[in-house]
Amino acid sequence: MARLLSIFAFFVFLLHHVASKSTGELAVEQKQQQLEGGEEEEFTEELLFRPLPDRKVLTHFHFQSKVPRTDSYGHHHRLFPKAVYQLVHKYRIKEMELSFTQGRWNYESWGGFDPIASSNAKPPGVELWAVFDVPEDQVDASWKNLTHTLSGLFCASINFLESSTTYSAPDWSFRSLSGNLRYGSLPREAVCTENLTPWLKLLPCRDKAGISSLMDRPSIYRGFYHSQRLRLTSGEFEPVASGHGIILDQTLTIVLQPDALETSAAFSSSRKLQPSWSMSSLFGRTVEGKCALAKSSNVYVQLEGSLVHNMKDIWNDNEGYGGEGLPYEGFGSNPNFGFSVSPDTMMKEVNSFHKEGSSILYGFSIKDYHGSKPFDLGFRWKLPVSWSCVKAPLRASRFLMGSGNEKGAIALSLQSTEWSESLLKADNNEEGCKLRVDVFQVVPWYIKVYYHTAKIFVDGISQSLVDVVEKMRVSPSEDKVSPGVMETILSLPCDMKSASLTLEFDKGFLHIDEYPPDANQGFDIPSAIISFPDFQTCLEYTHDNTSISSPMVSKMKEKRKILSYTEVLLVPLTTPDFSMPYNVITITCTVFALYFGSLLNALRRRAGEEERLLKSKDKNTNKLRLLLSKFSAKLRGKAWEPPSTVTQSSSSSSPKLISSKVIMKIVLIAAIGFGWQYYNG
Amino acid sequence: MIAAITVSLSSSFVQFSHADSSDSSSVHTNNWAVLVCTSRFWFNYRHMANTLSLYRTVKRLGIPDERIILMLADDMACNARNKYPAQVFNNENHRLNLYGDNVEVDYRGYEVTVENFLRVLTGRHENAVPRSKRLLSDEGSHILLYMTGHGGDEFLKFQDADELQSHDLADAVKQMKEKRRFKELLIMVDTCQAATLFSQLHSPGVLAIGSSMKGENSYSHHLDSDVGVSVVDRFTFYTLAFFERLNMYDNASLTSLFSSYNPNLLLSTAYYRTDLYQQQMEKVPVTNFFGSVMKTIHTVSAYRGMLGKDSSRAKFVASSDQSYNTDAKSIASDPEKQVDHPEIKDVERGTCPHADLWNAFVEKVQSIKDVDNFVNYGFVGLLTLVAVSTWQSS
Repeated sequence: MARLLSIFAFFVFLLHHVASKSTGELAVEQKQQQLEGGEEEEFTEELLFRPLPDRKVLTHFHFQSKVPRTDSYGHHHRLFPKAVYQLVHKYRIKEMELSFTQGRWNYESWGGFDPIASSNAKPPGVELWAVFDVPEDQVDASWKNLTHTLSGLFCASINFLESSTTYSAPDWSFRSLSGNLRYGSLPREAVCTENLTPWLKLLPCRDKAGISSLMDRPSIYRGFYHSQRLRLTSGEFEPVASGHGIILDQTLTIVLQPDALETSAAFSSSRKLQPSWSMSSLFGRTVEGKCALAKSSNVYVQLEGSLVHNMKDIWNDNEGYGGEGLPYEGFGSNPNFGFSVSPDTMMKEVNSFHKEGSSILYGFSIKDYHGSKPFDLGFRWKLPVSWSCVKAPLRASRFLMGSGNEKGAIALSLQSTEWSESLLKADNNEEGCKLRVDVFQVVPWYIKVYYHTAKIFVDGISQSLVDVVEKMRVSPSEDKVSPGVMETILSLPCDMKSASLTLEFDKGFLHIDEYPPDANQGFDIPSAIISFPDFQTCLEYTHDNTSISSPMVSKMKEKRKILSYTEVLLVPLTTPDFSMPYNVITITCTVFALYFGSLLNALRRRAGEEERLLKSKDKNTNKLRLLLSKFSAKLRGKAWEPPSTVTQSSSSSSPKLISSKVIMKIVLIAAIGFGWQYYNG
Repeated sequence: MIAAITVSLSSSFVQFSHADSSDSSSVHTNNWAVLVCTSRFWFNYRHMANTLSLYRTVKRLGIPDERIILMLADDMACNARNKYPAQVFNNENHRLNLYGDNVEVDYRGYEVTVENFLRVLTGRHENAVPRSKRLLSDEGSHILLYMTGHGGDEFLKFQDADELQSHDLADAVKQMKEKRRFKELLIMVDTCQAATLFSQLHSPGVLAIGSSMKGENSYSHHLDSDVGVSVVDRFTFYTLAFFERLNMYDNASLTSLFSSYNPNLLLSTAYYRTDLYQQQMEKVPVTNFFGSVMKTIHTVSAYRGMLGKDSSRAKFVASSDQSYNTDAKSIASDPEKQVDHPEIKDVERGTCPHADLWNAFVEKVQSIKDVDNFVNYGFVGLLTLVAVSTWQSS
């Protein structure tokens, strides 16, 4: 059947080429496209709000563009951005992720276990990784060209990642199957409007209509954390025709603090009411209808499992009413909170991994809203409630030890959270429970890490590496060529309270030209990636026992390992006094000029010739010359004679001066000078 | 037959274009702008505001984003010290956010270096550099080059780390001319002693405006107490005041721009160098550089662009001579406009005042009978110097 279809497709393709009139072209092309991929280009826009325990609100925009696989090159796109399509084809990208982030994701209070935390919490600055479908020896060239192209596309200095000192090729710790993968990050890259605008230009409606019209720049950049991400998955180069086309996921994750205006809470309890918010109070804008080109545009509000659980308790306390599933039902008349718009759907988490409670997702469709009736979702708390997020199995942080400008140490500390404690309780019957932790760390070459000094402490007691390290791959840095990369699998006992890994390093010296203009600020070590492959995050929602076909919800459903990024470290390096080279050059040049200048002058002088010249010039006597000669005569302590009567005594000695002996000496000095310059320069 | 037609066509076009190309080697094709802010750090906020103000002005007057190369040495809009995130103001009334929703920064942060600046001007990039980061001008382009930062006598500092010297700038412009990368170039510099930066320029078709003369400082205009720093420089402030009154279709001439600078308001003397520019300032509208106003050429038939170009080039030699003459006349008529370059003349005279003294010194040295001894002494002295310097540096 497939064969028949492909033959038919080929026939249509031929037809398409034969057809000279352009009128029917589009229709034919679309038909062909439908035949080959069975689907069309697609665009969906979604927005998720989630109240956070520390009185903030997480806002997560998700845009997905899809293009089916086609064989004709130079295909016209209706929705899919051409720039990205060309990028994928030119550099043969299989997968790529680029993120621009400012601020640091707070794993403690914003969660470390949910899908958003593990896929949208990113290190500060720019992070880029890409997998190429090219032969091994061309990967670096493709990477370099890709960085330049992206820097042009997104107005950022991503091209600094082209240098081999800034990127690395992780083997197994970053992603499980990572051939042809390159990873690089720029921790100090500024992120601002100029990066967001080109990112928005990839959307079919830009920020003119639909959910993206909410993006008011000052509101976004006022937030505590914002991360703009672009993720490409391409099946264009797979040999089997079953491969999907290109999927472009664009997400923007913002953590905002709503203005707590309505503090008219009647509760005199110590627990304060969480701040209520609305779209217009967070962004100062409302959504005036959907993007007309979007297949679906939905807004969701997500309530975490523990929040739902706590609300249930409060409800029970206050009313003395034992209704089990109360917070789920009747969303308009919920006693804990209220929406300004009644939700269209309510989805419940199934197969909850956590014992506490299952999370709820309220869905709103903005299909029916328009300019005169804008969509402005508000969320109002009625009862004070407090809850905490589900944290990652271990809390990872990294810091520097030691002082001075010569050496130091990097310490990576892992501390247990209540989550791992509960895990322990669950598994305590099992003997020797182990927790696997993957560490991936890239260190610039000027931080010379001595990997043999690695020490591991579990609960403050030094452990031998053999007991804890399951696998380790280290590629030491090479000066000005490549950074130091460490990939480690640690297996830690489940019942430990804390573990730490320390590595000592020496600080290197840079060439004077390699220092940045603000070298005194210090140098950054990019974030390390800590992942927990034993745990997988997965949130599955159902609505009336049917699964939901929304890209965002299906993204949450995907099983992915828990990731967390550590802090960026700031290492102060010895910075030279940048004016010193000028001083040295100036004084050296002066000395050399004085010496060689006078020497050459003494050697090259032809006294007889000069006197003759002087004599001929004598008629028009130069006053200044006269004065000077008078002056020099006084200096010499001789009686001054007028130039006309200069004695001819010294003329005889001049030809003898340039003897071979003197020339030899000059050559010797020059050679020494040259040698000196060569060995010390 | 066909040949006859082409000949007749071209001859008719020659007649037609004769009136058209009165004073140009090639037809004005497009406008480009290179806007550079060379200062890093928060307290130099005003330099970024200067550059962004100019960016907004040239965009408003019609130069599209893809023909503007914007170089900003630091991030002020999303700086942690900025109370107004994603916004930059050039006035304390905060009426205008210069960092609107559609800013395209081509070079930023550490990328703003003298090397990259010269690469942009001369077009000598690596192959991988994207088009948006290149100055893709041609021989009919009018280019506006605006620079602001901290400078001094014949130099402009880039990020407190390296300097652009007047020689570098002149060499780059010369190379641009040789590579036919511009037809007319306006260099506008807002920095202390800006005039000295132009002293080495020799390429024809270059106009230069500086904010201050040698020995003068350029001052900031006012302080915004909400932002906490000065937000705009005086020269740029009054330049913008001039341009705010204009739109794309105004015919305000360069002379009116020059005469709008009041030394009492600027607290420095604005400097114009016009001797390399062949046209009369009174007749050149400012939109020649700050906008993108194309001359519409009416043709009888559909498309004869190539023919037109060639014939107009052929006409150039005579016409440019004329324009030189008129220029010379205009210079002679108002001598106060011409500014001398005393420092250059000094150099050109070529006699060093120390030469005589030096001769006397050499004479004295020569009178030492034993030259061998002298050389030996010198050698020993050199060795000790080298030893001392090594000891010092180690």
